[in-house]
Amino acid sequence: MPSEIPHQRFEARLSDGKTADAQDVMVELTERGISIRLPGSHDPVIWQYGALSTSEPLTQHAIDALVTYAHQLGATLFVPGPRFARSLATLAPQLTASAERWRSARPWLWATAALIAVTIAISLTDLSPARTMAMMLPDEARQTMGRHMVTAMSQGHRLCETADGRAALDKLTAKLSKAAKTESDFRVVVVDRMLVNAFATPGENIVLTRGLLEKANGVDEIAGVLAHEMGHGIERHPETGFIRAVGLNAAAELFTGGGGTLGSLGVLLLQFSYSREAECEADDHALRILRDAEISAKGLAEFFIRISKKGQLQESDPVNLLSTHPVTLDRLAKALRQGGYKLRPALSAKDWRALKSICGASDKVQVPKSE
Amino acid sequence: MAGNAITDVPDGSTAGRQLEVSWLSPIGMTGLSIANFIYRLFTLGIYDFWARTEVRKRLWSAIRLDGEPLVYTGTGKELFLGFIIVFGLVLLPILLLSAGIILAFGPTSPVAQLFPLALYVFIFLLFGVAIYRAQRYRLLRTSWRGIRGSLDGNSWNYGWTYFWTFLLIPLTLGWIIPWRTTKLQTLITNDAMFGDREFFFKGDAGPLYGPFAMLWIGVFAIYVGASLVFAVAIAALQHTFGLDTLSPGGQLKPEIASIVAIGTLGIIAMAYLLYLLISAWYRACIINHFAKRTHFEGAQFKAKVTGAGLLWIDVTNILILLVGALLLIIPLSIAAVLIVAVANSIDATLLESLLGPDVKIRFAAISVPIAIFIMALSFTLLLPVTQARAMGYFISHLSIEGPIALERIAQSTAGQVSTGEGLAQAFDIDAF
Repeated sequence: MPSEIPHQRFEARLSDGKTADAQDVMVELTERGISIRLPGSHDPVIWQYGALSTSEPLTQHAIDALVTYAHQLGATLFVPGPRFARSLATLAPQLTASAERWRSARPWLWATAALIAVTIAISLTDLSPARTMAMMLPDEARQTMGRHMVTAMSQGHRLCETADGRAALDKLTAKLSKAAKTESDFRVVVVDRMLVNAFATPGENIVLTRGLLEKANGVDEIAGVLAHEMGHGIERHPETGFIRAVGLNAAAELFTGGGGTLGSLGVLLLQFSYSREAECEADDHALRILRDAEISAKGLAEFFIRISKKGQLQESDPVNLLSTHPVTLDRLAKALRQGGYKLRPALSAKDWRALKSICGASDKVQVPKSE
Repeated sequence: MAGNAITDVPDGSTAGRQLEVSWLSPIGMTGLSIANFIYRLFTLGIYDFWARTEVRKRLWSAIRLDGEPLVYTGTGKELFLGFIIVFGLVLLPILLLSAGIILAFGPTSPVAQLFPLALYVFIFLLFGVAIYRAQRYRLLRTSWRGIRGSLDGNSWNYGWTYFWTFLLIPLTLGWIIPWRTTKLQTLITNDAMFGDREFFFKGDAGPLYGPFAMLWIGVFAIYVGASLVFAVAIAALQHTFGLDTLSPGGQLKPEIASIVAIGTLGIIAMAYLLYLLISAWYRACIINHFAKRTHFEGAQFKAKVTGAGLLWIDVTNILILLVGALLLIIPLSIAAVLIVAVANSIDATLLESLLGPDVKIRFAAISVPIAIFIMALSFTLLLPVTQARAMGYFISHLSIEGPIALERIAQSTAGQVSTGEGLAQAFDIDAF
């Protein structure tokens, strides 16, 4: 190092930081640090390289340097001309722009790497913090969440209710609930919307649409769909989805610097869709429930086939059943393979008719095929 | 009054110095922009606080008083902590409260509907506070020859004035704006200090009303003009295509809709350019007027910015940002097209057998958010370059008239802060 030291003298201006005045001084870059010689003084003051900082990080473009010293607070040394700045950069490399950037970014680069590693670990293993929290939610909170989601989803549409239809729906739900062997029974409502959809909401609530009932080819399809949604409920998928959405929203705010996303939670409630794994879990439950309830799984399979065909769904539907319930061959095959147990009709023909017209007489355009 | 300061010099020997303000254009801002961008990308944006700090250090350093640079002494850590505190004390509670209210009362209940409204009022009340505090932080972290600036006043006072005068803007059809701008400038400049000496601002909004009237009429004319052009264009479309513009569903046909969308964007862009033109002239008037009314130790500031100058900086800066974004988006798009093409040319079953089931969906699930993240950042790629140009223009047209007795300016005694700008950062109030 000492060989690199130019031992040149530079004219500079020193301010003591007590007033805005400055005095002319001579400085020199030495082995020990910047040597500052005040006019009329014999002993130079030495500013050691390790305790220096500069007003801006030193770069090859530097045209001058303004230096401060940790052991003489407030004092500033201004040295015009690029030569001093560039020599200082070699003698005190910690003051260069690249060194400063690396120093401040390094912890965050590690943090990012750790975050990515944890994310990969979570996705590779079956760990799901959101799900763990969902499992710990008290029942009361889940019920409240569910009720509000049902209200939000049926906004602007009435809930369908006829005495016969309700009785039939309750009969079907009770049968499936019993087979599902859950602690609390599921509550099912039908919303007067023509799009074909069904969804589970927190707290063992399920919403069916009028469109789904009217387009169904038989009660077994409805039983299959209900059993599938119960599967989501049993696995607490709706609760998990909500917690994940809140968490992601908070993280997004943290990373984007906040603002913008506030208050959009109401929208979030309506938006999440399930992963492929979640759908498989729900399917497994559905098949088990259908077997225990002695209902054919063919209905579920037929339903999958039907909704995967183009044209059956209006593409402009805001919530498209196909996008929220992607149908894969695996799922279909699993449902079709199911069998080998005694089958009984899910509901009597009379009950099915009552359920189907729970929203009143269907529109002429939308007449479903008769059974 | 500050005007008497010079004659107060006891022995009369020091009448003060005439300080020369100059701008030493920082070199290497493009390199800095790129380095900052890469670091931001690989730290998920967190490096932003440090990136911003380095940019400020460069910009401040380019401002010279008598050839010596202003020094920005803030740190990235302070900005980061400031943001974390605001996140914990304001943003996170608001988020949890929103979630809680929706859960407890339901998304359709009156409480849940009114809550966002109350929230916006609250946030808006904090807006002025945030501006003031950000300004205070910056002044406290600005020094020249070791002497710090400060802002010695109450941020809530400023925030409240900012809030109620804002409410009056629609009620007065905007005519309160010059008065309001002057009022806010008076509040903040009279609180500002350099060392132990105060800045002094005595402004009146009167001279601003002429230019504002021009701006107001101009905006009105632009609005009417743009609406007329739009109406004529729609009428022409209907005349050309007749009822064919509608699809059976009663909606515009996609091809017509895209013509309308492009046309609308074009009209908005033209209107915006016209607005920039008029408002640049108005802003130049404000800057020059405010500078003239700002005094420090008997010296007076003088700005000679012009509307054309500001407009040129604005327009070229927009173009620079666009170029920066395109520099990123074009290679990214080409890469995306290539990846999709390669993925499609490989047999799907082979791909799945090699990389597991649903490999395409998984890849998309990872790469799409990353691409969106990069695109969102891309418009800020060359931001430091544009900031340097904007600040450079202003400083090169600014001067201080009259001598200042520098030896009389002692270090500031204002209390220090340890974190910076959290609120302003949270609300995206930021010039530099």
